[in-house]
Amino acid sequence: MVERKTTATYVCGVLKYLVLICFALMTLLPFINLVAKSFSDDAPVIAGRVGFIPIDPTLATYSYVLKGNTFFNAFKVSVFITLFGSLCSIIITSMQAYPLSRTHFRGRKPILYMWVFLMLFSGGMVPNYMLYRILGMMDTIPVLIFPHLLSVYNMFLIKNYFESLPDSLEEAARIDGATNMTVLFKIILPVSLPMLATITLFYAVSYWNDYFTARMYISSVNKRPLQLYLYDLINNAMQLQNQGDQGNTGSINEDEIANLTAETVRSAAIVLSTVPILVVYPFLQKYFVTGMVVGSVKG
Amino acid sequence: MFMSLAKERTLNNNSFMSYFKRNYDMYFLLIPGLIYAIVFKILPLAGIYIGFVDYNMFAGNSPLDAIFASEFVGFENFARVFKKVAFTRALTNTFIISFMKIVCVFPLPIIFALIIHSVHNRYFKKTVQTIIYLPHFFSWVVVAGIFNQILASNGIVNTALVNLGILNEPIIFLSHQGLFRWVLVFTDAWKEVGWGTIVYLAALSGVDQEMYEAAVIDGAKKFQQLIYITLPSITSTIVLMLVMRVGSIMDAGFGQILVMYNPTVYKVADIIQTYVYRIGLGQMDFSLGTAVGLFNSIVAMTLTLGTNYVSKKINGRSVW
Repeated sequence: MVERKTTATYVCGVLKYLVLICFALMTLLPFINLVAKSFSDDAPVIAGRVGFIPIDPTLATYSYVLKGNTFFNAFKVSVFITLFGSLCSIIITSMQAYPLSRTHFRGRKPILYMWVFLMLFSGGMVPNYMLYRILGMMDTIPVLIFPHLLSVYNMFLIKNYFESLPDSLEEAARIDGATNMTVLFKIILPVSLPMLATITLFYAVSYWNDYFTARMYISSVNKRPLQLYLYDLINNAMQLQNQGDQGNTGSINEDEIANLTAETVRSAAIVLSTVPILVVYPFLQKYFVTGMVVGSVKG
Repeated sequence: MFMSLAKERTLNNNSFMSYFKRNYDMYFLLIPGLIYAIVFKILPLAGIYIGFVDYNMFAGNSPLDAIFASEFVGFENFARVFKKVAFTRALTNTFIISFMKIVCVFPLPIIFALIIHSVHNRYFKKTVQTIIYLPHFFSWVVVAGIFNQILASNGIVNTALVNLGILNEPIIFLSHQGLFRWVLVFTDAWKEVGWGTIVYLAALSGVDQEMYEAAVIDGAKKFQQLIYITLPSITSTIVLMLVMRVGSIMDAGFGQILVMYNPTVYKVADIIQTYVYRIGLGQMDFSLGTAVGLFNSIVAMTLTLGTNYVSKKINGRSVW
């Protein structure tokens, strides 16, 4: 196809690239500013002189944050709930999805309707809170996992994926006398591995990024996950700036009080909390994208 | 050997017991999930009862006792809360913020997807996509932390605006009643617009290339191709996404607002869920919190069912 190149189409072509470059910069610059602050000295940060390049570069902030127990402790809690939680979630979710994906499974319809209803309607914040109180799970590590253990949406994604696999796969195995479990472990699961990896990642991101569950149910400092640690850091900083250095601050411990006002410390802590995501994201991007596409088309 | 599920079709007269005996393993698989559903999803539904009593936490020996020892008051909690100014304000804010987000943020992924799709340089495309998907994976705490600092009085935005002479003195955006909602809209766009393009890019890559070739032969210009081929091909995706978005109007961004707001902007940013959180858990008025939560759940479910019905009518496909 030959097209006449007019000035207008040429300008359009350049404009497209410009718009996308601007968009990418808008996305990156706030983060670059944060990184620049985290590597800068306190004084230029407070004066608002740090843009996108660190001024008086120093690693002191990072070594300070990493030396403190609180950050490391919170990091450990987050790593644990993310790894253990995602593992439990993917197992229980696929166990639920497999029988429900078999069209002739008896009892399928009522169970599916139940899950759709539970996805649409919930008791709300207070009854959930009361439940965990009654179960005596307040301020325990499991309470960070249970609320997210099975996401109905993810279960439906897996179920739909199992359903979309060609019947011929299973029928061939059945002729050879395969049992339900053989079909699941030898046929369905192996061909679904990319999809299961995607859903595991979705779970992992939701465990890693969740601060609200911890905000509701966790009160001990040493059980805080990373996101709640950051939340407290950011929120308390504002209040403490007004109060000055007074002793009585409740749940915040001493080594935080000394530094809550330091913007550099906050920046470094935020940057550090995103490192795991920044490290794995480029390699796993395609799984995330597949999951999103499958979800939007079939969900 | 167990009888295959595929053969079940042909046997109509076998009882459920014999079916169960042959496929008990399938039912075992369901057990953990069903226990989870009963304990952590269905049991809290019974907790809705708290919304119909005047909850007194000192009434019983345990939190559970207290529920049943409290006085049953029927719909009194609802009547009480509907009269509160704070509740009406939260409800209005929920709709206003959601509406602002739909109008300002919803069209952006479509526009950017169209632009990205029309770029031919593969490396450029990949790089841009990798960058713009990234903020989706940051938590709201991280995003709030970033923007708290950027928008602070000594942050780069204020510094730049003052230096350029646009502002005389810094604005504290996060405490500014007139601007705070726009901060919410902007940060929401910053976090999710890039990620939102994926769905439309998938739809665009599915458009039949032959249609474009035929159009070019007929002398269609780029713009005409856009209007007559590209947009009609992704209309159903756009409608579906819009319908889903409208269905979740009651969620104006709880995770976002809870970390970003502060008492100075409650007036413009307090939404139903933050209100439930503050009144129900902050002030420990469990009954009122439950009542508002129930109201929210019912409205949200009705909206989702309604919009799903509309989606079926328009697109012939249900959201689930």
